[in-house]
Amino acid sequence: MKKNKTYSLTLKIHRFDPQTKAAGRRSYRVEAGGVQRFVDLFREINSTQDPTLAWNSSCEHGQCGSCSIRINGKPLLACELLVETAVREFKTTTFTIDPIEVAPVVRDLAVDIATAYEKLNRVKPYIIDPLPVSDSKPHTIAPQHLQKYIEATRCINCFCCACACISSHHRFLGPNAMLAAIIRLMDPRENNKQQRLAVLYSDEGVSRCHTSRACSRVCPKQIDVAHFIALAKAGAVHEP
Amino acid sequence: MLKIASTRSCDVLIIGAGGAGLRCAARILEKRPHSSIVAVTKVGHAQKSHTSTAQGGLAAVDPADAADDPIFHMFDTWKGSDCTADQNVVRKICEAAWEEITWLESRGMHFSRDPDGRLSKRTFGGHTVNFGEASAYRAVFESDRTGKGIMDTAWGEALKQNTRFINQSIAVELLFNGKSCVGAVIFLLHAGELIRIFAKATVLATGGSGQVFQITTNCRQNTGDGLALALLSGLSIMDPEAVQFHPTGIVGPGILASETLRSVGGILRNKDLEPFMEKYAPKMKELAPRDLVARAMENEIRQGKGAYSRDHAVEHVWIDLRHLPEAVHKTQIPEVTSFFKRYVNIDPQKELCPVRPSCHYHMGGIPTNARGQVQDNQNHIVDGLFAIGECAAASFHGFNRLGTNSILELITMGKFAADHILKQLDGSCPDTADPGASAAIERFEGYRKATGSENSGQIKSTLRKVMTEHLSVFRTETGILQALQALAQLQEQTRNIAIREKALPMNPELLMRWELDNLLCLATIIAQAALQRQESRGAHYRDDFPQRREAFNHHTLVSMNSAGEVQFSQRAVDMSIFEAGNENYEKFGLIQRTY
Repeated sequence: MKKNKTYSLTLKIHRFDPQTKAAGRRSYRVEAGGVQRFVDLFREINSTQDPTLAWNSSCEHGQCGSCSIRINGKPLLACELLVETAVREFKTTTFTIDPIEVAPVVRDLAVDIATAYEKLNRVKPYIIDPLPVSDSKPHTIAPQHLQKYIEATRCINCFCCACACISSHHRFLGPNAMLAAIIRLMDPRENNKQQRLAVLYSDEGVSRCHTSRACSRVCPKQIDVAHFIALAKAGAVHEP
Repeated sequence: MLKIASTRSCDVLIIGAGGAGLRCAARILEKRPHSSIVAVTKVGHAQKSHTSTAQGGLAAVDPADAADDPIFHMFDTWKGSDCTADQNVVRKICEAAWEEITWLESRGMHFSRDPDGRLSKRTFGGHTVNFGEASAYRAVFESDRTGKGIMDTAWGEALKQNTRFINQSIAVELLFNGKSCVGAVIFLLHAGELIRIFAKATVLATGGSGQVFQITTNCRQNTGDGLALALLSGLSIMDPEAVQFHPTGIVGPGILASETLRSVGGILRNKDLEPFMEKYAPKMKELAPRDLVARAMENEIRQGKGAYSRDHAVEHVWIDLRHLPEAVHKTQIPEVTSFFKRYVNIDPQKELCPVRPSCHYHMGGIPTNARGQVQDNQNHIVDGLFAIGECAAASFHGFNRLGTNSILELITMGKFAADHILKQLDGSCPDTADPGASAAIERFEGYRKATGSENSGQIKSTLRKVMTEHLSVFRTETGILQALQALAQLQEQTRNIAIREKALPMNPELLMRWELDNLLCLATIIAQAALQRQESRGAHYRDDFPQRREAFNHHTLVSMNSAGEVQFSQRAVDMSIFEAGNENYEKFGLIQRTY
């Protein structure tokens, strides 16, 4: 087996104490195997060096978006980043680790993600007015039509895109919120398209996007977020 | 010093905001729009719940499908359960299944579609038509993320109808007025405060307990909190020994490497690269049933033929996919291939992949009837208290769950509980007079005052190793006794865990300490229940008692007295379909679980 290399890493982790409001950075030296993930490293720090370090995760396989952090500035999921990948991609064994800047920090790396969700809630991430069903039969949706937006439904709201977005305007609801709005505009089961269009094309909507495509580049699910936003800008996400 | 910072009341308090909890909330609010519903979740946001990780599908018989019938689904579930599911629950869920699919679809779930635009269906292990005659195409699905579809839909509907969410918070004590549950004490982790919430109905929907084992597909939060809370309240847990293991979890993250790997020709090998399945199942080899394959893998490891992953400190075997044609890798197993690449940096076309049976699902849980009402150890209903989803046992799955039946159970039981709760909401809210000091205060203050050099993380890690070694797919009296001894010692060690950070807001040490107590409590009852069940049934396999035995044709009920001693009682298995004697009733007798 090739996987026997150990790496001596330095993790410079952001610390924040909610009581004293003191913020700073603390360095941890970690001996790590190549296929350990960053969540494994945090766990190990909790067990062997510092049980007080707070960090978030849940499913730990890229399906819930709880462990989003910034490593050397790049927003990503800590559960998906292997040590050997990080060393190769960032060309270093020293990593600065920070919370994502989309919500207030509660402690250390843990943010109050529900605050970030408030922007998403503004676009109503559900069907506002469902098309009625007849004889309790499901609707039919042509797979060709579904294909147009199914990629967008893979979004897990990890907010990595919102973190990387260069739109400086604080009113912009963010790339993931745009996706949620676009999905329901393209979804034939939504009766209330007007309300959706109003938000999408408001001054909180797609016009705030600077087309940097940063969202697509960082998306851990490889969704081409910018593509959907471009469609919306072109008015191509709904039937007139 | 901790204190109860405030007291509030609501109509319904839902503890756990995953698929089951939010289906329940959505149903109540659809029928009674101005109900006040509070949903508490341990994770940062409801959408982060473990329901989102379910992949395969959702079993439901489509009334438009002439080949299928709910009675076949009932039979498959009964057989799969190794004759330990409750037939009244099986009937109720299987008959209501399609209506729930229609609800999910109309509320926006993005089901995969066939060329005609109708819901696609696929077949899953153990699902058949005509009582085992042929595979049934019964599972609707949303690509490989069906659970996410359910979670997004249930959350969206609960949000739309103004459910009030309390995120990153845990229920630490149930409140009772006499024998009726009237709410709970909630620890708000962000604020580091306790609050008391009174409710006309309290619903436990806290999910699974997979973190009890070292290798698990379950999320970090699945520490069996609801089960421990029930035990702490003097209630019982049903069938805790019924834990399902999937044969091929990817070593490290525990993610499932689907059964497809074996069906396309993957070969299991030990550390000497010997293809060992031919020793255990000369004909079926890798295609033998899940439990048999899992036992063969563990047996190799037990005989010292396991390979060792240093990075994850665990033994495992290999699945070899290198000989498969490139086309198979590219078209038939691309997702699983990508999992190996992403999480262990292995290219399955060139390298061996490390796998080990992975704790996947807890069939056991808080005992309820078919309406989700919790029952005590005398099988009496506990007024005001409901349990649904993986933390509950109604029991739809008995001792072994069929694939695609878990997320079906979540949403149907969520709805059934809601329908019963709706009948109870017109009365006034329970008495909100001061019910006295909260035991939770003493507990958490105890954690903060303790001194010593032990660490929660290390004890947790040892506990999980012990459970994986002695209580996973193979169980023997000797092994279980060793585990119980080890657990007792770990319990002693917990007295010497000092919390370094004394501040209360968002204190990860306090949370971990509390979770450790829950895990220890649960590990102990799993082991005790496995010890007393001297037979093999479904996922519970005793090496020293390899056959199912009639003397154990009942559910186990386990409770704990205040001294932490385990007490057993029983619940009969409901066989109402068999007893009704209608057409095909004989299929619902004590049949053999052979495939």
